[in-house]
Amino acid sequence: MIEVQNLRKSFGTVVALDGVSFEVNHGETFGLLGPNGAGKTTAINILCGLLRPDQGTVSLDGKTDPTVPEVRLSLGVVPQTLALYEELSARENLRFFGRIYGLSGRKLKERVRNCLEIAGLTQRSRERVSKYSGGMKRRLNMVCSLLHEPPLLLLDEPTVGVDPQSRNLIFETIEAMKKQGRTIIYTTHYMEEAQRLCDRVAILDHGRILDMDSVENLIVKHGGPSHIEAEFEERPPNPDRIRQFIEDKNMRFEETKIRFKTNRPMESLAMLNRSGLRFRSLKVQTANLEDVFLNLTGRRLRDE
Amino acid sequence: MKKSIILALKDLMILSRDKFSLFWVLCFPALFALFWGVIFSTGSKGPSGMKIAVVNEDQSEFSKLYISRLESYEALDLTSLSRDEAIDQVRTGKQVAAVCIKQGFGDGFEAIFDSNNPRLEVAVDPARHMESGYLQGLLAKAQFEALGKKFQDRDWMRNQVNLWRRDIEEADDLTAKQVETLLSFFDSYDMLLQDVNETDYMAGLEGGMLNFATLDVRRESKGPTSSFQITFPQAIIWGLLACSATFAISIVSERKVGTFQRLLVAPLSRANILAGKAMACFLACIAVICIQTAGAKFIFGMPINKPMFFVPAAACAILCFVGLMMIVSTMSRTEQGAAGLAWALFMIMAMLGGGMLPLIAMPQWLRSISHISPIKWSILAMEGAIWRNFTLTEMFAPCSVLLAIGTVSFLLGVMILRRVEQ
Repeated sequence: MIEVQNLRKSFGTVVALDGVSFEVNHGETFGLLGPNGAGKTTAINILCGLLRPDQGTVSLDGKTDPTVPEVRLSLGVVPQTLALYEELSARENLRFFGRIYGLSGRKLKERVRNCLEIAGLTQRSRERVSKYSGGMKRRLNMVCSLLHEPPLLLLDEPTVGVDPQSRNLIFETIEAMKKQGRTIIYTTHYMEEAQRLCDRVAILDHGRILDMDSVENLIVKHGGPSHIEAEFEERPPNPDRIRQFIEDKNMRFEETKIRFKTNRPMESLAMLNRSGLRFRSLKVQTANLEDVFLNLTGRRLRDE
Repeated sequence: MKKSIILALKDLMILSRDKFSLFWVLCFPALFALFWGVIFSTGSKGPSGMKIAVVNEDQSEFSKLYISRLESYEALDLTSLSRDEAIDQVRTGKQVAAVCIKQGFGDGFEAIFDSNNPRLEVAVDPARHMESGYLQGLLAKAQFEALGKKFQDRDWMRNQVNLWRRDIEEADDLTAKQVETLLSFFDSYDMLLQDVNETDYMAGLEGGMLNFATLDVRRESKGPTSSFQITFPQAIIWGLLACSATFAISIVSERKVGTFQRLLVAPLSRANILAGKAMACFLACIAVICIQTAGAKFIFGMPINKPMFFVPAAACAILCFVGLMMIVSTMSRTEQGAAGLAWALFMIMAMLGGGMLPLIAMPQWLRSISHISPIKWSILAMEGAIWRNFTLTEMFAPCSVLLAIGTVSFLLGVMILRRVEQ
């Protein structure tokens, strides 16, 4: 279990983290969602011991010093930058990092082969990394941290600047790690990634956690109403009857179409269905984390 | 230690794939040593003879003998010319002097010692006064040696005796008693020349000639015996500078790219990581020194007078440059900045410390300033072993300075790096 209590970190006059606290359970995928400069990377760097907090504590399975070699062996850190030796091949990079983590002999060989397969780089494993595409480098950057099969993964925006194919491969890898029961902390400013991968998400802005919950609960709490647009086969004979059970006072009728907002989209749709009208088309636009962030901060995630 | 070795091997592998760095580490120093070594060796064959033009207008046996004596002197480099050519070449500075042997030079003692009508004329370049006196001495020496040869010709000597007897008989300024005494002497001498057998005559002459034994004195050698003894320590320094700069830049590059951070979150201590870098730099420097020294010794025949002293001298120089590598790596956050700074700093050190101009060729004031450059101490330590023949005590000073600079630089670099990373 990971426990972070009241973390504070400043760089000169810039406050990067301002009293951040959260807990992550074993096997959970926890997302830190926020725009650039929110403090996500600073939090990861403190978690892995690269930075010392000005205040606050970090506990990784009860151990409070992440710089202890025993703790570091249990950590797999995927940095945001492409931390690879470009003059070496993928295989040589993996061998080197494997040896650093104490792997050797058959075990090292097996793990290198396995990681090359995960990254989809087996065919080009002997080429220098400098000749790889951005997506290939990003995939290799990730698997270099999986070599020693760490129980805790810290992924700092692992999909920045990659093509859709590489992004999917990275998602599939992370989902496979989830299934294996690894604990994952994942930072991103892409709400789709957080929605797809994370069990719980903390919304981080200006070094503070604004709220933290499962994606569904955050949307319910801060996402605002869903937008429903329905078109019927015929004009509703009695619109006032519909108005009675749709709470939206701004609901609009346009001949056979009806548009409204609701916090309970499923219940509203069930009631429309019971009214005896036959649907020609139905469009439901539910709130997402983007709306959550917008409602919490008044800004969009990628404004900055 | 094992992990530091893994880190060092990785760095050496990266270095081996960087052709640009390899050029600076291995090729440039070798080219430097070769270029200057060849230039210095061309100019250090020793002074050539004084260039003298000889004009032989006499063409007698004696004048030819005289010229052959002059030609036997290493200090002179003779060229036979006509009078006009000889004077012209002295005038234009192509010859130091012209020696004109006039007609009648070989006519005997009278001609040789006739002060009213000298048969030998010497024209010396006005800018070469120092050589003028030396040349006159050599001309006189040759004259006496030629005469000595003539003394061995009994017929020529008897003819000379007859001429002298005639002169005495015709002299107005001698008394009868003096004439009688001198004629008696020359009669006896003529009889001796007529009667004595060849062996006794030659033996007598040899015993009577000005002879001296030549003692074989080997001058104490205080300088290098080969130009490569000067240029190879310099070349080694350039190799060490390149290694130091390359690894300093690699630390900056790793910090910028993020691999340094990746290593910091691995189960390694910071000391492991920095020791790995230092070890890689150390091993690369050793390779540079071994390759350069082997090339100098086996290809160019450079002697190393004290090989046992060369090892600690090289080791101290390497440790110094490993320390410098560490501090240079903290001076910039970008590779370009680090490269610029490293080479700017090292160039100044090289200029002041004898990396460009050899220490022995520096003026005294520059030699005093050179104390501040670690390159001076590195070259001095290596030269101490190669040709300066330093004693153990003399080796201690440069080696201590190098170790001190290396240790302080390394510790300072580690401290700054730690602060910057936090």
